[in-house]
Amino acid sequence: MYNTRVRGVLIHGNKTFTDVSRDIIKPMDDKTPLWWWISAFIASGALFWGMWGFYNTISTGIGEWGLNNNVAWGWAIINFVWWIGIGHAGTAFSIFLLILRQNWRTSINRAAEAMTIFAVMAAGLFPLIHMGRIWDGFFIIPYWNTRGPLWDNFNSPLFWDVVAISTYLMASFVFWYIGMIPDFATIRERTASKIKKKVYGVLSFGWIGNARGWLRFETAALLLGGMAAPLVVSVHSIVSMDFAVSIVPGWHTTIFPPYFVIGAIFSGFGMVLTLMIVMRKLYKFKDYVTDGHLDAITRILTFISLIMATAYTTELFMAWYSGNEYEMFTFMKNRVTGDYKFAFWTMITCNAIIPQLFWFKKIRKNITIVFIMSLFINVGMWFERYVIVVTSLSKDFLPATWATYQPTITEISIFVGTLGLFILGVLSFFRFVPTIAISEVKGVLKETTTLKSFTDE
Amino acid sequence: MNNKTIIGIYEDEDVLLKAMDELLENDIKINDVYSPIPLHGVFEKLNLTTRLPYATFIYGVIGAISVFAFLYWTSVVSYPLKFGGKPLNTLSFIIIIFVLTIFVGTLFTFLTYFIREKMYPGKKVILPVPRTTNDQFAIIILIEHNMSAADIKKVNVILEKTGAVEIKESE
Repeated sequence: MYNTRVRGVLIHGNKTFTDVSRDIIKPMDDKTPLWWWISAFIASGALFWGMWGFYNTISTGIGEWGLNNNVAWGWAIINFVWWIGIGHAGTAFSIFLLILRQNWRTSINRAAEAMTIFAVMAAGLFPLIHMGRIWDGFFIIPYWNTRGPLWDNFNSPLFWDVVAISTYLMASFVFWYIGMIPDFATIRERTASKIKKKVYGVLSFGWIGNARGWLRFETAALLLGGMAAPLVVSVHSIVSMDFAVSIVPGWHTTIFPPYFVIGAIFSGFGMVLTLMIVMRKLYKFKDYVTDGHLDAITRILTFISLIMATAYTTELFMAWYSGNEYEMFTFMKNRVTGDYKFAFWTMITCNAIIPQLFWFKKIRKNITIVFIMSLFINVGMWFERYVIVVTSLSKDFLPATWATYQPTITEISIFVGTLGLFILGVLSFFRFVPTIAISEVKGVLKETTTLKSFTDE
Repeated sequence: MNNKTIIGIYEDEDVLLKAMDELLENDIKINDVYSPIPLHGVFEKLNLTTRLPYATFIYGVIGAISVFAFLYWTSVVSYPLKFGGKPLNTLSFIIIIFVLTIFVGTLFTFLTYFIREKMYPGKKVILPVPRTTNDQFAIIILIEHNMSAADIKKVNVILEKTGAVEIKESE
């Protein structure tokens, strides 16, 4: 089989198998650190504020938001697409890199997958609240009803969204969980605490790690990964069709599916970078998440950023080349020079220009700068969705219906609330689950380590 | 029934694989191998195969057919309602069929895996060598009732010669 060794040493520090188990489980055994409580406190505060916004929306109605007849999609849809985009990295990491047999994924995939789950959960909230009458949410499920029976419109991208996102959440969770089973068994056998033995005993499903078990485990993981890979592409393609299937200028383009998928992977990788830098700093995982890992992510980001820049340029070019005056107006007047030029240029700067600094080795090696740049990417990708949703809707075909859009405090609070939900999810992941896939790291340890006792033999 | 086993414990995957070769050359049947990581050499030496991919394929086919049947029945048979002048049985069904095929395939592969492995939440297990989930590898050889003391000794000698850090017998 094709197997490259270009990456060299993946895990530093001459680790043995015992060291790997001990190092990764240690944060779970230690006393809960102070920073954890502080972050959890702040995140809970954000979540509570979000719940206030949620309550406001449900009890009063969508009128609490800054939407109007023309701009009927505001922050809710922007944030929905933003979160779904972030949720793409986990699967992109684990699954594409699993299929491509990239061994460096092993230190990062667990955290990336956890991030996926919480991001998709945060994303899923928005369409649900956007219904307004959330208690009628079950109407979206095609069930046998007394209205005819009248079924859903299966040609509607909004229905495809429901199907795609629930499938994505389920598939990501299944893939994540199955990967954790051997690690739960490791904790079960190592721990001295009775409660932990019981809890992780339940979670490990009675894993024993015999030959046949491992064979089936590997096959199942590969099958689930292989099925989830096209799902990654299809989920964000479908999200893009929420826009592209309409005739609104700036949305009605064939470039949307690939453009959204690449954008999603871009924002997801940006968030992975942010989280991994935080995690390795707090848990002293520098031997596992090495500078080499971060370097690999930044290189990927540089490349994806170029694709993003190409997509932005293509959109502008096609607006001109199509000869369609509405497209021209949306792109050249409304986005590049009009009321929303700040959002547009923030998007260009953060997504297409700033990541190009990663070409310089000095910048890739400076983790502080890399961290700040990863935040810029997250912000830039948020503005991309803002540009797409708001500029196109605010000024479409009829000047008589033009309207501007300003978010209200309720919308902002819901967004902050989902940030709180996400951070709380990540924090509990840090606390209760092995943050690095122990058995997978062990699997790549020998062929890539500098360990003396292994090579001397 | 005699369920006595000889357990050879190793601390390195390559040493373990060499030991397995040695045992198999001497016509000793290896019952099982416990390891903290998946080892492809072990699967090959024990001639283990799995039919899980076929099961997944069948789930996918069933999923695709049943989803299409449902869409066709609801949109064409049960309540034929025109949307935007599109045909009742439209090409855009492919999107839902595609996604739900993956849904069915994933969910049932996951369930099949647990059913075949007889794993469920809270299952109690006692490992012959608990450290095999951490840093050790164990070869399990079942003592058949027709094995003589000399045979058992031979197994022990081979295990020791091939670098087992510990050899033990268990019920």
